[in-house]
Amino acid sequence: MRITQFLASKLKNFSNLPKEYIERSRKQVYWQTPREKNYLPRTVERKRFRYTTNRPWTGQFRQQNMPATMRRKVLIEPVEDWSFFRGDRIEVLVGKDKGKQGIVTQVIPERNWVIVEGLNWHYRRVGAEKEFPGIIIKSEAPLHVLNDIRLVDPSDLLGTEFEWRFTEEGEKRLLWGEITFQPKLSTFEMDIMEEMGIKEERTPAKSYWY
Amino acid sequence: MSTILKKCFNLAKTVRTATITSLLTAPKQQWQALSAAASQTPHAQMMHTSPMRHGLMEFFDDPKHWSENDIKVGRAWRTDELRIKSNKELHQLWFILLKERNMLLTMEHECNDKMEIFPSPERIDKVKISMDNLEKVVRERNTAYHLLETGETGERPQKRVNNAFGLQVNYKSCEHVLPPFMNLKWIKSRNIGFGGRAVNRFLLKYREQLYNAKRKAKNRSRNEVMMILRRNPNFDLEVLRRKFPDVDIDKLRSADKARGHYVPKVGV
Repeated sequence: MRITQFLASKLKNFSNLPKEYIERSRKQVYWQTPREKNYLPRTVERKRFRYTTNRPWTGQFRQQNMPATMRRKVLIEPVEDWSFFRGDRIEVLVGKDKGKQGIVTQVIPERNWVIVEGLNWHYRRVGAEKEFPGIIIKSEAPLHVLNDIRLVDPSDLLGTEFEWRFTEEGEKRLLWGEITFQPKLSTFEMDIMEEMGIKEERTPAKSYWY
Repeated sequence: MSTILKKCFNLAKTVRTATITSLLTAPKQQWQALSAAASQTPHAQMMHTSPMRHGLMEFFDDPKHWSENDIKVGRAWRTDELRIKSNKELHQLWFILLKERNMLLTMEHECNDKMEIFPSPERIDKVKISMDNLEKVVRERNTAYHLLETGETGERPQKRVNNAFGLQVNYKSCEHVLPPFMNLKWIKSRNIGFGGRAVNRFLLKYREQLYNAKRKAKNRSRNEVMMILRRNPNFDLEVLRRKFPDVDIDKLRSADKARGHYVPKVGV
């Protein structure tokens, strides 16, 4: 497995949720033809979602993308090789924490954002009522990966430029477990039948596939 | 829930072994133990053993998981991991996964019925991914055998045919006793041609729709490139060219829409 692929898999899968589940949980189907032969398979569903710091499988995400609401499209600049991962040390280039360094805690590739621990924060007031002034919560705002941050070189702890290169053994594969499969001139079914002692002596009649 | 059912659950709690769940999460040691047990003695083959039966309660999760908000489980089986397993182990794993899927779907249905939260619904997807991967691996092995022995893949034959609306659909062949020229019933049922004025008009409009979708997608990517160039004029053009191969980027650079809302610096 190439190192970039390995990192990309880490980026997407840190929540330990499969892609299928994430797609299923954010799905909003408005109308669907019955899955019968006399209907064409047509589905009317939400195609464009507004991605925020709320993750797609949460209730807050659904709250922000309520059915039948439309929001303006957000322009996303393409980032070819994603290079910002959880645990990376980065330097902030903008805002009140300009020049400070911090560790990436969350990655939001849909918006080209990262959230850095303890930097670029603001206060939010939550749950204010007439008598109750509410609770103050300190929360970090996201930072844009192309414009707002820079990776930090671990050797001298200074912000650097970087580039991706291939190593000699780039195609290294990671495998766990004992190899118990032995190639054999039989299909899966034949092997299982032999294993379980099932003998088939009948010959199938001639048949035609069309 | 009635008292009898509760008693059943308590009984199940005491008797139930953790084999299935641990097999799903921690594959390595369990498999080794299983394979070692299977290959120990020839006398073991004489003795028939069947797994412990809990009756219908096997369709339900362990009662200690019922009130939990989320259940920690591992990831799905990957194809690379399944490729190194023997056929026997794959066969066993298939039935473990099948039972797990039955259990999860039952629990989901039951939780919906009782207006409760089904904990960790991503488990269903994980089992499904594992089963898909397993089937893929078995198909690979069978295809290799058939290609070697017969020169054909051994898969069910499929072909693209036109249906009554003149659209291309996938036709999966079936197995028949009679050859096609003798099978009158099949010939009658497959007598699908297309033609006539209505079908031609439908096809005209259908193709127009397809063309419009293509045209709109092209316009959309063109607009997106212009907006990116407007916001950051120094954006890497090579990246844009790779991302939008069908857009003429050099032409768009001088487009009016790609110009930003600022006075360009002259002579700097």
